[in-house]
Amino acid sequence: MTTEPILQVSGLVKHYPLTRGVLFRKQVGAVKAVDGVDFTLGRGETLGIVGESGCGKSTVAKLLCHLERPTAGSIRFKGEDITNLSGRALKAVRRNIQMVFQDPYTSLNPRMTVGDIVGEPYEIHPETAPKGDRRRRVRDLLDVVGLDPDYVNRYPHQFSGGQRQRIGIARGLALRPEVIVADEPVSALDVSVQSQVINLLARLQTEFGLSYVFIAHDLSIVRHISDRVGVMYLGRIVETGRDAEIYDHPTHPYTQALLSAVPVPDPAAREHRDRIILSGDVPSPTAIPSGCRFRTRCWKAQERCAREVPALAVPAVFRDTAGPAAHDSACHFAETLPSAHGTPGRAAPREGANGNGPG
Amino acid sequence: MLLEVRDLHVEFRTRDGVAHAVNGVSYEVDAGQTLAVLGESGSGKSVTAQAVMGILDTPPGRITGGRILFQGQDLLTIREEERRRIRGAGMAMIFQDALSALNPVLSVGDQLGEMFVVHRGMSKRDARARAVELMDRVRIPAAAQRVRDYPHQFSGGMRQRIMIAMALALEPALVIADEPTTALDVTVQAQVMDLLAELRREYRMGLILITHDLGVVADVADRIAVMYAGKIVESAPVHDIYKAPAHPYTRGLLDSIPRLDQKGRELYAIKGLPPNLTHIPPGCSFHPRCPMARDVCRTDVPPLYEAGEARGSACHFWRECLHDH
Repeated sequence: MTTEPILQVSGLVKHYPLTRGVLFRKQVGAVKAVDGVDFTLGRGETLGIVGESGCGKSTVAKLLCHLERPTAGSIRFKGEDITNLSGRALKAVRRNIQMVFQDPYTSLNPRMTVGDIVGEPYEIHPETAPKGDRRRRVRDLLDVVGLDPDYVNRYPHQFSGGQRQRIGIARGLALRPEVIVADEPVSALDVSVQSQVINLLARLQTEFGLSYVFIAHDLSIVRHISDRVGVMYLGRIVETGRDAEIYDHPTHPYTQALLSAVPVPDPAAREHRDRIILSGDVPSPTAIPSGCRFRTRCWKAQERCAREVPALAVPAVFRDTAGPAAHDSACHFAETLPSAHGTPGRAAPREGANGNGPG
Repeated sequence: MLLEVRDLHVEFRTRDGVAHAVNGVSYEVDAGQTLAVLGESGSGKSVTAQAVMGILDTPPGRITGGRILFQGQDLLTIREEERRRIRGAGMAMIFQDALSALNPVLSVGDQLGEMFVVHRGMSKRDARARAVELMDRVRIPAAAQRVRDYPHQFSGGMRQRIMIAMALALEPALVIADEPTTALDVTVQAQVMDLLAELRREYRMGLILITHDLGVVADVADRIAVMYAGKIVESAPVHDIYKAPAHPYTRGLLDSIPRLDQKGRELYAIKGLPPNLTHIPPGCSFHPRCPMARDVCRTDVPPLYEAGEARGSACHFWRECLHDH
């Protein structure tokens, strides 16, 4: 999708200072939650961001919605730098970038009716809808997300998790935003309800021409809904590309390990899966390793990885190829896996091989 | 047979009436076997396990019928003292949330060692040595030093290993793992599931794995029991169920998994919501959501039909379901 980018993020950084002392607060370090993130989001496009807990994906979401101020870097909305806006200008931009939260149990005020929750954005941005028209709009929104408009006077506790998430989505749509940032929108829901909400998000995207930043840890759902995918590790995007490039031709060892660890819902694949089991845990974001931040868990790490930070770019080995492996990957030793993930069965035994050699 | 649950019924008294959480569940597990109990929230999968372990909150919960036979002995009729001995030495449980399952003010060494002091009458010093051994077994690095650490000093994956160590301490014949990896990241989940599978093989334990994740089930289970509204709706060897489900609910769950060739299209979705346990629909409890439902489904409760070798399906039209796939 080569459309004009609606969001451009470059060099985004968010460090939370760690201080010591009460009277003379001294900064002793920082939690580097987001540590240099770049991406663009095209109009009508869905960018999926995947990563494990603590990788900074939720902080990115908050920065995009101006719920947090970045330490450095810039966010451009339709070409305009919105990073340091304040006051009225900020309010106008915020209207266009709305968020859908993960937990529909805590993100809705239990003392407000559904009508008040969905209509609250109009109180904050009164210019968007005349007072007399708000009730009707709220009913329309409930209808759009598949809830009975007669529920406007009910309270959140009268709804199931999936219905609550629909309420959250209706609220996100109230101001007719152009970008929706969805942070784990279905991970708190039961399997049978997840697909209902995913389908709803997909339908709304076509209906309202929305652009999505879709943050999740469920890799199969992200693949289903995304045009492009970025993989985050410890505050940075380590690999990004079109969905098939990332899922079928990953070149970064972290992406390869992540994909291979996902359990495949097919017992027949059990015997011939080549799982890469990473050793150890993710390092603390207060002490990010030098050079490549993945090197402490990487089986390919060499001396160079401790010295040089790998840039997020098409690796040199693939630069002159046009194949799917030629996408951005921040690894000095990027390469595709010998057998693609998800291919059932091992590579056929070569003639004359006795089966004991290295695979 | 190591464990046999026979026609178990559990209900809860709530403000809105009696919630029928478990409505006639039967399953069995043999030594060395892994049974996956698959279900969504409110399906009764955890309540059944709590009844087996004898850790059901009573009240509000109440076992209103059925038998739980562990190595031939009915756990529902024996004295609490005897039950306590079996719990720990005979069967153990691994919970989803290790941080709240471990005692925050005792070092992990003390908590692990306590098992040996209480059940085996060991001295504190010997118990501590065994604790270090166990931590080594579940591959916690530098076990001898870390034995003095408290739960909050460990990462999520490491805490789950400590829980596993605690469950395995007395080499129980049966381990129940309730969503053991749900709170963990995928790369850590893979480490923990591998460890669990390895230890199960080594000790020849029976394992009941409670989960909602069809991927995890496919990876480790021998048999699956699919639960819906407090009942087992389908039970089968793992390969059979993924090849061709014999119940429309199981089929719906499998069809909901995003597939590559469906990208850009609508995902299959089971319509509607799981039922309220105080008002379970008459007839087949799945009928309001079922694409195959007919008149008989609204009135007649389906028994668990024999749907092939070692297979059961609680659907009047299991044959159709099986062949449609």
